[in-house]
Amino acid sequence: MAYNKPLPRVNGDNQEFWEGCRNHELKFQQCASCGHIRFPASLVCPKCLCSDFQSIVSTGTGKVYTYAVYHVAFHQGFLEDLPYVVAVVELQEGPRLLTNIVGCSPEEVSCEMPVTVAWENVTPDISLPMFKPLI
Amino acid sequence: MLMDFAGDDAVFGHFGATGGYALAARRAMHEFNTGPQTWKHIAVAQRAWANLNPHAMMHGKPMSFGDYLSSKYVVEPLRLPDNCLVNDGGRAVIITTLERARDLRHRPAVILGLGQHNPSVQVTQSGTLTGSTGARKACETALSMAGVTRDDVDACQIYDCFTYTVELTLQDYGFFGPGEGESWFSEGTIGPGGRMPVNTSGGQLSEAYYMGLTPLSEATMQIMGRCKDRQLGPATQTKEPSIILVSDNGGILQAHSCCVLGRI
Repeated sequence: MAYNKPLPRVNGDNQEFWEGCRNHELKFQQCASCGHIRFPASLVCPKCLCSDFQSIVSTGTGKVYTYAVYHVAFHQGFLEDLPYVVAVVELQEGPRLLTNIVGCSPEEVSCEMPVTVAWENVTPDISLPMFKPLI
Repeated sequence: MLMDFAGDDAVFGHFGATGGYALAARRAMHEFNTGPQTWKHIAVAQRAWANLNPHAMMHGKPMSFGDYLSSKYVVEPLRLPDNCLVNDGGRAVIITTLERARDLRHRPAVILGLGQHNPSVQVTQSGTLTGSTGARKACETALSMAGVTRDDVDACQIYDCFTYTVELTLQDYGFFGPGEGESWFSEGTIGPGGRMPVNTSGGQLSEAYYMGLTPLSEATMQIMGRCKDRQLGPATQTKEPSIILVSDNGGILQAHSCCVLGRI
């Protein structure tokens, strides 16, 4: 069956991130001047405004900053997933990602829970970084 | 941001304002004492006000704490009555000079102070989902411009897209400290007969959603004395309002404005 959920809109700003995801790597920009690791990608560092950066690959581990449990599907593609967990995960390197928590029931999720990336290959070009409890 | 089905948030099934505020509310539950036991007081008190307002969508539909706690989740931790209403309709507030207003048939409400503060950080990167939001500085600016203090405030009309927004706004305005909301609200504080009436039309939760005009128009009409059964003063065993604090809020706690209305 064709994938029936929305797909990311790949553009000049986020292309490197989604290409990294295809290779199961979480890639972020790190400021060459102050070392700040930023997300989403941007032309200049939001901390020091320097435009030079290098790419780093995250370890893929972090913790749940916050989460919400959807009991209503606002898009047909998510109907069968109910109830599902949308979360903001704070990676060890600093950036926070909007994502899903998988591999456990919604009742088991809590703020500050340690998690690790769980790749979901949804099309030949797109893999989504979801997260599961770090055991 | 709020309605975009094609953005990267939608990839993970994250849609609309309820999801964003649910993320904020959940983090608040982790950081201080809040949750359904706090929010039920807001939802139920505003419903009581709506039952004094024949124009309210929820007029004639009383709600108890039990009704609130047994209602279904939309995006947990937010239940259906934590969410504002969806409706069509219109509101208008006419603004003119005080000189002209003095000659009009109705006693005017006077804009005494205004303040704005917009942290504007997207939800995932925000450090202010649990306060202080822009509300704190916006309120300080507005009160200072009006030359009054929080102790002079007789009632509040708070932008209530969600119950949690009411709690966090009043908390940032300094009415209580983080986590003290449950106790502050629990004395019937904001309902009819309460010592600090809030959202006296029923608000966006129980009257109707007119964006910032729900709180602003209600504050204006209360100062003008045009609210009939729900009029602050003897009719509702509350203080007659000389000063009303009004809030507006945008995005997911990303923008805030505050207005002080008073009578001449």
